[in-house]
Amino acid sequence: MGDGRPALVVLVADANPRRGSALSETLRGDSSLRVLTVPAEMALIDAVQLHAPDVVLVDMARADRDALDSIRALSQPAQERPIALFVDEDDAALMETAFDTGICSYNVVETPPRDVKPLLRAAIALYSRFRRTREELSEAQRILAERKLIDQAKRCFMKNEKTSETQAHRWLQRRAMQTSRRIAAVAEEYLAAQKKDDLS
Amino acid sequence: MNAPIRIGVLRLADSAPVIMAHRQGLFARHGLETEIVVSPSWANIADGLAWKKLDAAVIFCPLAMMTALGRRGHDAFLRPLTTISRGGNTIMLRGVNPVETIWHAGSHGRRAFDVWRSSIGRRPRIAVVHIYSTHLLILRRFLKMIDVDMESDIELVVMPPVDMIHALSEKKIDGGCVGPPWGAEAERLGVAFRVGGSSTVFPDHVEKIMVTSGGLSCSEEQAQAMTLALQEAITFCQTPHYQQDVTAALAAPLPAGGLALPAEATRSVLPGGSEQEAINFVAGALQKHDIEWIINDMVALGWLENSEQQTLMRWSASNTMASAPFIPL
Repeated sequence: MGDGRPALVVLVADANPRRGSALSETLRGDSSLRVLTVPAEMALIDAVQLHAPDVVLVDMARADRDALDSIRALSQPAQERPIALFVDEDDAALMETAFDTGICSYNVVETPPRDVKPLLRAAIALYSRFRRTREELSEAQRILAERKLIDQAKRCFMKNEKTSETQAHRWLQRRAMQTSRRIAAVAEEYLAAQKKDDLS
Repeated sequence: MNAPIRIGVLRLADSAPVIMAHRQGLFARHGLETEIVVSPSWANIADGLAWKKLDAAVIFCPLAMMTALGRRGHDAFLRPLTTISRGGNTIMLRGVNPVETIWHAGSHGRRAFDVWRSSIGRRPRIAVVHIYSTHLLILRRFLKMIDVDMESDIELVVMPPVDMIHALSEKKIDGGCVGPPWGAEAERLGVAFRVGGSSTVFPDHVEKIMVTSGGLSCSEEQAQAMTLALQEAITFCQTPHYQQDVTAALAAPLPAGGLALPAEATRSVLPGGSEQEAINFVAGALQKHDIEWIINDMVALGWLENSEQQTLMRWSASNTMASAPFIPL
């Protein structure tokens, strides 16, 4: 607020509370911003009417985003500063990245792009980081699940064929190569066949 | 084009033809690889069409028209491919219905409204799913029929249909105009009663249409393939014999390619179902009488300029020569 301008009021509307608070924290590093969040049980439109923000950063997974589209069309007298979807036609790349990432911004209609774009960029960066973490996590979970499956198949094979673990592993490996499939798929198939045998 | 065609839908029973065409391989049989994108909001559908995140979508005319006119930031080259459904919207209110029937035009309806309003004890808050929806136009016409002014006599709010059921039971809203199966579901749960809907306001009005966007709009071959696949799916969904199959597909969870809709209510709104406001699945080009009233109402609401009105009339097939190529807006 060094230049004497009033703080820009930013409302963060994230369906993911953890990501929402991370984004708020990031933005609070800028002292020219007053950062607010939408409580979990509050409708987006109610929060907008309550706080009259200059900028709303909206998670596109929110189902209640549709209400924001109505503000101008309904021209409700209660809404003195109508907000609208922020679009920078000269910066289509930024817009497409934002929509790709799942974030968009609604602003008081006259807000200049120079005030909005840094906020949108910060949100995009944070959303991307969260998505990467989530992807890494699910990849790790997948690898773990596969490893479990392979171990189980090996144990089963060792018991059935009275072999060592190395031999069991080789058998799975060979079978995977012969059928051009992944070891985990072979292991899964082997376990399924065993289950069928046990039932019959 | 190797990337699959991304088709946006919402969790509504009138998305059925697209869901069935995808599940039963009708798109694939016509050489189209498709991906269904279940969107949480109409804004996501409109932005998806405008910003190249969707190649096609099931949408209502007013929002499609506003999107094509550039209200989402820049003009989107949208092409109406075929109608998907007619009717299906329900106007429902909470509390007690003073007349035990639907509300008829004129003083009957007005009297019922006045009695109901005094029992509510405030200016009624009535919800629609999006401002640029058929639901809003149907609601406005219904209120006009019973001599109630939408601008001054009620407070209009916008919220997702699933939230409406909760909001009705919590008395946060007093009513809504909503698409299938959510009206039937609200009635089934006992949180609202039906006073009217598509069939009493504008029987068989066009509800959902399929639009294509961007590159897909320009590909005559793909547009034709998609139209044919949809025609087959629409015939399937319209056949009461398949009601159970369609219900099962729509009630299936999202990861299984369904829409996680409530099964009983969904069955009741499909063709052959018990609901008054059942859906009619109809394929075909938009006709002049389909869009004329929509455009007129949009003008009356101050959403369109006169020049835009002329442009939008080109969406009807009867306004262009059948063999002429489609003219972008």
